[in-house]
Amino acid sequence: MATRLSGFPVLAVAAACCMALCGSIPATARDKAQPAPQWALDAAKTPTPATVGDASAVILFDEYLVTVDEQNHAVERQHFAVRILKPQGRKESHCIAESDKDQKLNYFRSWTIAPDGKQFQAMETDFKDAGSYEDRDMQSSDRFRIVNPPGSDPGSVVVCEMEVHLRPYINEEIWQIQYSIPVVDEVLELVLPAGGRFAESWSRITPVKPIEIGPNHLRWEVKDMAALDLENLHATPPEEALAARMSVQWGESAIKGVDNQWRAIGQWGEKLQEHRPDPTPEITAKAMELTAGAPDLYTKLSQITSYIQKNIRYFIVMKGIGGLQSHFSADIFRNRYGDCKDKTTLLISMLQATGVHAYYLHVDSERGTIDPTAPSLIGNHMITAIELPEGNNDQRLVARVKATNGKTLLIFDPTDEVTPVGLIRGQLQGAYGNIFNGADSQVLQMPVLPPDVAGMIRKGTFTLSAEGALTGDIAEGFMGDEAMQERSFIKDNDAKDIHQKLESSLGSDLPGLTFKGYEFHQAEDLDKPLNLDLHFSAANYAHVAGSLLLLRPRVYGSHARSVPDVMEGKPRAYAIELGHPGRWRDSFDIALPEGYKVDETPDPVNVDVGFASYRSLVSAKDNQLHYEREYVVRDVEIPASKAADFRKLENAIFADEKGTAVLKKQ
Amino acid sequence: MRNHKCLRCVVAFVLIGVPVLAKAQFQAPTDEELKMTADAKAPGAAAVYLNIEEIADDPTHYQTFYARIKVLTEKGKELATVEVPYLKSAFKVTEIKARTIHSDGTVVPLVGKPEDLLIIKSTDREIGRMVFTLPSVEVGCILEYKYQLSYDDNLSSSPMWEIQRPYFVHKAHYMFTPFKAFMPNTRNNNLEATGNYLTDAHGDVINSLLWWHNLPKDAAIKTDLGGHFSLDVVDVPPAPDEEWMPPANSYLYKVFFYYKNAFTAQEFWVHEAKRWSKEVDQFAEVSKALRSAVAGLTAPTDSEIDKAKKLYAAVQALDNTDYSRKKSESELKQLKLKEAKRAEDTWTQKSGTSEDIAMLYLAMARAAGLQAYAMKVVDHDQGIFDVSYMNINQLDDTLVILSIGGNDIVVDPGEKMCPFQTVSWKHASAGGLRQSAKEVGAAVSPEETYTNNSTTRTGDISVDAHGGITGTVQIAMAGQEALRWRQAALQNDETELKKQFDHSLETIMPEGVEGHVDHFAALDQPNEKLVATVTMKGTLGAATSKRLLLPGFLFEARGHQPFVSQENRLESVDMHYGERLTDQVTYHLPAGLTVESAPMATTIPWTGHAAYIVKTAASPGKIIIARTLARAFTLAKPEEYQDLRGFYQKIATADQAQVVLTAAPEAKGN
Repeated sequence: MATRLSGFPVLAVAAACCMALCGSIPATARDKAQPAPQWALDAAKTPTPATVGDASAVILFDEYLVTVDEQNHAVERQHFAVRILKPQGRKESHCIAESDKDQKLNYFRSWTIAPDGKQFQAMETDFKDAGSYEDRDMQSSDRFRIVNPPGSDPGSVVVCEMEVHLRPYINEEIWQIQYSIPVVDEVLELVLPAGGRFAESWSRITPVKPIEIGPNHLRWEVKDMAALDLENLHATPPEEALAARMSVQWGESAIKGVDNQWRAIGQWGEKLQEHRPDPTPEITAKAMELTAGAPDLYTKLSQITSYIQKNIRYFIVMKGIGGLQSHFSADIFRNRYGDCKDKTTLLISMLQATGVHAYYLHVDSERGTIDPTAPSLIGNHMITAIELPEGNNDQRLVARVKATNGKTLLIFDPTDEVTPVGLIRGQLQGAYGNIFNGADSQVLQMPVLPPDVAGMIRKGTFTLSAEGALTGDIAEGFMGDEAMQERSFIKDNDAKDIHQKLESSLGSDLPGLTFKGYEFHQAEDLDKPLNLDLHFSAANYAHVAGSLLLLRPRVYGSHARSVPDVMEGKPRAYAIELGHPGRWRDSFDIALPEGYKVDETPDPVNVDVGFASYRSLVSAKDNQLHYEREYVVRDVEIPASKAADFRKLENAIFADEKGTAVLKKQ
Repeated sequence: MRNHKCLRCVVAFVLIGVPVLAKAQFQAPTDEELKMTADAKAPGAAAVYLNIEEIADDPTHYQTFYARIKVLTEKGKELATVEVPYLKSAFKVTEIKARTIHSDGTVVPLVGKPEDLLIIKSTDREIGRMVFTLPSVEVGCILEYKYQLSYDDNLSSSPMWEIQRPYFVHKAHYMFTPFKAFMPNTRNNNLEATGNYLTDAHGDVINSLLWWHNLPKDAAIKTDLGGHFSLDVVDVPPAPDEEWMPPANSYLYKVFFYYKNAFTAQEFWVHEAKRWSKEVDQFAEVSKALRSAVAGLTAPTDSEIDKAKKLYAAVQALDNTDYSRKKSESELKQLKLKEAKRAEDTWTQKSGTSEDIAMLYLAMARAAGLQAYAMKVVDHDQGIFDVSYMNINQLDDTLVILSIGGNDIVVDPGEKMCPFQTVSWKHASAGGLRQSAKEVGAAVSPEETYTNNSTTRTGDISVDAHGGITGTVQIAMAGQEALRWRQAALQNDETELKKQFDHSLETIMPEGVEGHVDHFAALDQPNEKLVATVTMKGTLGAATSKRLLLPGFLFEARGHQPFVSQENRLESVDMHYGERLTDQVTYHLPAGLTVESAPMATTIPWTGHAAYIVKTAASPGKIIIARTLARAFTLAKPEEYQDLRGFYQKIATADQAQVVLTAAPEAKGN
């Protein structure tokens, strides 16, 4: 089944967190087959549209009926019908009902209607309950009831109906309209209590007006939604950032106007965390101890953020509202573990103890998921917005934004244990978040950082033998996101794994590699570049071809990206993700063997396409071959309309990286 | 008299990778342990187990686990979260105690409540996991915890000791007190006299306690007068993690205890083999309906081999639900069908699992008057058959052996799309049990010869003056590769299969070149070669002002030979099956360019194991480069590793050769 969002999705991102609502509860057991309901029979008669193309299955009907009571508690009923078109389409027919202690599953039934009209009902033995599991440190009490529908072969239609009591503290339904397979008819109905109000927001789709089909009973319907098929596309934004969806809110959150809605959500979130960050004497004492003698704000912030990054381990078991609400700072400080909300709570608490204001900033670990034009609780991660004093112009505090209230905010993710205060990793750059700050709550775009704060400088000095063996050393200096990635690599691996992975990386560029060793420097100092020295020889680096010796001046490392659909010139509908801005420089010197002279070198390259530039140069002097290049990326993504520029850039990089120098025996 | 149910299956499920815990008391760390920042016995380790203790006491129905861990790096902190999976109907996880000891000696006890979470729940079982995480964890600290698994009085359980773990273990102590009648020195006592007895899944009375072990050198299980089995090990290295390793069951240190109705391996296997053979014969009973079906499929004048082939084709044509969809219990009920109890049922339903279909073939072959025997083998991808481990559940799949003309012909009818007289690599050289005309006993299935598994890639490529290429490649597959793609085609339509094949091409296509499969030939004809026709285009060559350089070996430009960068080897290499890979690529050269240099004719042998041969032929306007890598071996022992690595290093070097094209000298006039 194409699962739909219900509350916040739980995402498994290393540095991500946990804003999830979920639960458990088994469905109704059945021991005697019942006929499929009429809605299912009607849905099964829907012809397969000619537009489905290569889809493995098509959703014929997907209807949600949300009934809200006087207390703003809601019950949701879903009717779902999918036709399996191909053998691999069977996987789309496994309907899933999510539950937890606050989200009770009332019933869950499923039938399969074969092409000849024969019906099969899923019985209790066709259902399984599975606990949610992201990884060892991100656990949850959520349960998923999954049906393995009988008779689910190509041509058959699987129908499911289920009903859940939505979490009582959530007054929002996120209606996903687009999936990886096409949809014929997608419907949301909302039944409000007398006098009830609602607010809607649409993302990645032109809004549809509701039809009032009864008193306080609204119906939105979208027909013939194309599949969002990203399977064979590369470097696209995530599915969550592209799929059409609508969010409807009721109760107090149902306020008209985009800014007002964001404000209401922020106020709701702030209330949920009320008093959680209140510092205890122990927290205050620790904060004061850490910041004692700090000469400036940067140092003060760095002391506190480093403490949390190094000492508060990521761990969470999400249960009910615990997917949204932080623990109290005292508990987090005592246990020294927590999730993203907890880490933010403790950071706010410690900063508060030292006179610095900070706020919760609700974001998503996937850029583009939060749409500034579509206010919603969607998002799976909590980070921190730190208020900078007026006039602060510390160049080290780069990741800053201006709020509408005039305050300058420094964005920082305490869950990210390897990015120093002042910077944010590429995934967050350019993305949106909702700051929880009372009447000043608003949606904010996080900054795209300048190229000079990230990237790498790589220098290599080598000696080439007449037999083609290359011996030498490489010194790499990583900054920003590159340093973050390397530090994560060190943190997540033991010495043996690090050796093997470095060896494997070198070996892919250097045939006949003998890896002699490596050293990391400044790995613990997040605010300094991370340096790595590599020592190796490569027996078969250059190739003897008669009287020639052929070698690639670009000894190690690649900037070429694998985006086959763009490189093949296929039409591109979605943005091309570039990762993050940065500047990468390589400089290699190769001492050539006696008796050989440079006969040919690759032509220089110099390409600038605005969002990125690349230049390289190979030169020969005396008995040395020198290669240098600089690659600069200035944005996190580019629109599809720039695909031709992207191809131009990548073709230049690719040609340069393959470039061969020819040495001739004298 | 009390009848205890043996928890053999329960324990197998719950305790693998979940060592049982201990009655050990927390202990004060030494100064050396507190100050330790690295471990000379485990250089570079992220953490080490200082102590492990597992106590299993069957008479009092509990198992305990105790661990003390030194955290040495950030990664080592992952051990601070402990997960205990357990079968909810049989076990309880209790007595959880844990504490963190900082390097300055500060002790931080666990105060939070463990979480009892769900793994999976179905109508017949519910598996939960108890989760707790230690507080205040930092690099340099010691993690110490213990917990207890208890089970009902009317159950009995024997432990599995996972001796080797992902982290180095300094000291481990294991102890097992078995059910009273099986204590050392009391074994062979009259079971009735104890007033208690155990029964197994078949209802047979268990009369023996056995154990299987793979232990480090010098480690041994001891018994004492108190009725205990114990084991002490020191300095256990972490579980190896290398590419191309055999299944983990074949090399990890561990001990399994189990209650059985046999005293020796021979006795056990004789008994089990007879039981299995009897069950096989019952299932494959030749019924009137089957005789009738066979009569319709074969002619009386057919030779035995032709009958065998016709019947094989007939059962292969059935719906093998392991490649489509297994009908659930409720679906069968709604269809008024029943789970196959006899081979005839499978034939009637025209559908069955791989096992059902193998047994059907056995029955039909017998109905045709052929001498046909079943062989139950281990799936080589999952494990290696070990006679000393007395558990028939280690055997997975059924082959059929036909005795025709005095020769044994082994077929794999349950493996859909597997040609007659070929077996999946998972079932080749696989140990197990087999029937024969005389007896039932242990046997090993035949080895697959490497010549049966061949892939030939024939390319016809036109090169332009800038290094751009267009062309086609025919990829002809026989044996295991063909079987793999044909089985993938059963679960996907051709469009999806093409996508998957294209994806696999990405690993062999040179950078800058794209390849897409245009069509397949003989996709549903398992006795023919499967051929994929691939179109290629892109930029292959690197042009300089005077020359054009092309990779000598089109499909090896990415240089992905294994073992090249791995200096040493701890475990055997298991490459699953031998094969022969042949490439023949014709480059049609652009006008005005001639071959200045090309890969040289080369032969690299690894005598008795493998060979690599390169041949080149240049003529005006084109060059043909042929490369063959024949690998006759499947397994290589660690002591053979340097030879193996040397062979692959030489191949990797040879594969880097390039074709150098240069402008032809202009013809001079008179």
